[in-house]
Amino acid sequence: MNLLRLTRLMLRRHRLLIISWLVLLIGLTGATVSAYQSTYATPEQRRIATELARANPATNLLYGELADPGTPALMFGWEIGAFATVLAAVMAVLVATAVTRAAEDDGTLELVRSCGIDPRVPLRAASTVLLVVAAALTLGCATALGLSVGHVDAVTWPGAVAFGAVLGLTFLLVGVLTVVLGQVAPTAAGTRVLGFAAVGAAFAVRALADTQHVAWLNWWTPLGLRATVRPFTGTRWWVVGACAVVVLVLARLAGTLSGRREYRAGLVRRRDRRGGRLNVHSTVQLAGRLARSSVLSWTLGVAGIGTLFAAMGSDVTRQSRDGDLGGFLGAQLGDADPVAGYFAYLGTVVGILVASYAVVSVLSSRRDEEAGLTDQILATGTRRWAPLAAQVAVTALGSGVMLVVTGVLGMLVAPRFIDGEHVAVLAFTYVVGQWPAVTAAAGWTAVLAGRWPRATWLAWTPLVASSVLALLGPLLDIPQNVRDLGVFQHVPDVTAPDPSIASLLVLLVLAGTAVVLGAVGTTRRDIITG
Amino acid sequence: MVEGDVITVEQLVKRFGALAAVDGLDLTVRAGEVHGFLGPNGAGKSTTIRVLLGLYRASAGRVRVLGLDPATQAAQVTRRTSYVPGEVSLWPNLTGQEVLDALAGLRGHRDVAAERRLIGEFALDPRKVVRTYSKGNRQKVILVAAFAARTELLVLDEPTSGLDPLMEELFQHCVRDAAAAGRTVLLSSHILAEAEQLCDTVTIIKDGRLVESGRLVDMRHLAASEVTARLRDDQAIAVVEGLRSIGFPDPPPASPDLRLAVPRQQVPAVLGLLAEVDARDITCTPAKLEDLFLRHYAVAAR
Repeated sequence: MNLLRLTRLMLRRHRLLIISWLVLLIGLTGATVSAYQSTYATPEQRRIATELARANPATNLLYGELADPGTPALMFGWEIGAFATVLAAVMAVLVATAVTRAAEDDGTLELVRSCGIDPRVPLRAASTVLLVVAAALTLGCATALGLSVGHVDAVTWPGAVAFGAVLGLTFLLVGVLTVVLGQVAPTAAGTRVLGFAAVGAAFAVRALADTQHVAWLNWWTPLGLRATVRPFTGTRWWVVGACAVVVLVLARLAGTLSGRREYRAGLVRRRDRRGGRLNVHSTVQLAGRLARSSVLSWTLGVAGIGTLFAAMGSDVTRQSRDGDLGGFLGAQLGDADPVAGYFAYLGTVVGILVASYAVVSVLSSRRDEEAGLTDQILATGTRRWAPLAAQVAVTALGSGVMLVVTGVLGMLVAPRFIDGEHVAVLAFTYVVGQWPAVTAAAGWTAVLAGRWPRATWLAWTPLVASSVLALLGPLLDIPQNVRDLGVFQHVPDVTAPDPSIASLLVLLVLAGTAVVLGAVGTTRRDIITG
Repeated sequence: MVEGDVITVEQLVKRFGALAAVDGLDLTVRAGEVHGFLGPNGAGKSTTIRVLLGLYRASAGRVRVLGLDPATQAAQVTRRTSYVPGEVSLWPNLTGQEVLDALAGLRGHRDVAAERRLIGEFALDPRKVVRTYSKGNRQKVILVAAFAARTELLVLDEPTSGLDPLMEELFQHCVRDAAAAGRTVLLSSHILAEAEQLCDTVTIIKDGRLVESGRLVDMRHLAASEVTARLRDDQAIAVVEGLRSIGFPDPPPASPDLRLAVPRQQVPAVLGLLAEVDARDITCTPAKLEDLFLRHYAVAAR
């Protein structure tokens, strides 16, 4: 009974996090599938696209191998499935950490355990939460897809269920794996870092399997489930059962490890003592010191992904030159110079990642305010607007570092793999050119954090909207003038005659104005308290 | 140093929506005094303090701290003020020493010798990361920062809630030192005993309104002590008689367990009476602030 009660409490406490992600994933699934029927209208177009896709290491890297015979359903599972499984894995890391180590770090688990609950129950309840969310994800996506049965070729109810099961199992596997890692990591933040590193490793293994055609490797990565379960073609249902066994084993392992560690400490010990001093004379310096480690992790992650893309671009550009690449990536690259198109796409992906960092980073000023840390800073004779302004400055600087590092690495790596003129210049400018868009994201978050701190969750809305416009706009047939409202696709081709940077300047002006509004906003309201 | 009044609050009102957390409060703190700011939980003490520091804007009323208006000159006020919040939260991934460096660095000045001495006296290990500190240790960090800063005004919001008795005594010592050095202290508390030992003047509030304000010696009449004793039946009757004769208009009925709220000036007489009849297990407990309020408002309601 306690297990059920605690499960309900956890679901209740994290419902916003869980529901937002479910809506995003189910929405992505339901909204895109019909586009595959229209994008490849004739079997001939589809045949060409399928052949191109199958021979292409870059799409193999991003999406995996496209199974025969390349029906719209299979293409959907190949392209959108790739995004959805990565998103489900990210969601799993966040949800699993929230219901396990985060509750331990913020002290709520202590309260729960003091209520006469068996010490093993919280972990079981957390696993049950993961199971419930996985089931909801499976059913939701299966239903969203099932609505297209009869409208999109080869989408069937069993196929829809299998696709939903792939997402649900990806979530469950990564979630339970994160719970295991949470027994090892010293803190909740450490758990998240380990979890994301595991997702990165899973992606790398899957990419290796699909680009080097080592099919057996896909059995060793949760992100390879699409290749092993094979929704929409000869589905192997027994893999679902095998995954359930793996989940049980991992859950058991987490339980065993949990019994061998101290409360609020992982199996890996953290360093608790150090003798350093802090030479800080302004809020910007302090914010910079506090942001140091997260900027480092984000830079490593973003630069890694950017470099991977830059290294895999060779065949994309060759095929774009040859003709119709088609589908998702084809729509992305557009009709322009293929090299420029590819780097524009790479820049968009990097821009979205770094803008996410910017939103998270500026939002931390609100968390600090609620925790009483801002009180401490203001009580030393600091101006009311300074903490927010400092956080925005550090965010702008930190994202600049990420973009420059990624750009420079791309500039060094891309010319070795991609033929063409100006490859290095394009690799650098399309990435670094995202900085105005990232500052815009920091700006709108600053307005909310400064003036309407209770509504800061809204900061994600323009980011998600801009990402959908940039990534799915062409596929969903959204008109160009609407797509231009997104912030990520305004970087010009600097090698083309007369590149226009007007829209980038507009973004910078908007960002600057927003930051000023946010800073003024702080002086017009009370400090918020938890 | 400011002469005269360091804090002046007139008819302060602070509303949160429909709730008036502070409702027409007056508060005056003179330079160099230790002023107790007393009231039960939720009385509006922390809200008032946040207005004094410019963290909250007043809904109405006039507020001056160090001669400045914190609503428009918060930074100038807080630069000369040390603040210890009731609930101390610090950056979990910095060490205690790094937090002290950060706060002093932002303020722009510090007394390094005093800081080192206070760290030793409070037995604080400044090399440990904040997330490993207990509540009491986090409080020590912020107390060290507050006392070591070269400030004229100390605003302490229930600063001793996590300290052990030894550290509590050290804290009182620090407050006395600060006062001796000419610094002004506003000490918010809900423990009357602490205020009695430290404060020259006190302001007592409840539900955001002023209950009583003035010099502590003038307010002793507010504080009643609780006297208990065990009596035999014949002793009980004698005690009731005796109480009436020393001016208790309404003594309790005779019972073997005597429990009395005795105004401070009558405590010696009542204890004398109990000793005289040879009562057993006599105890005399100074009143808690809570009791004082209960009685105060019970009287007001009649």
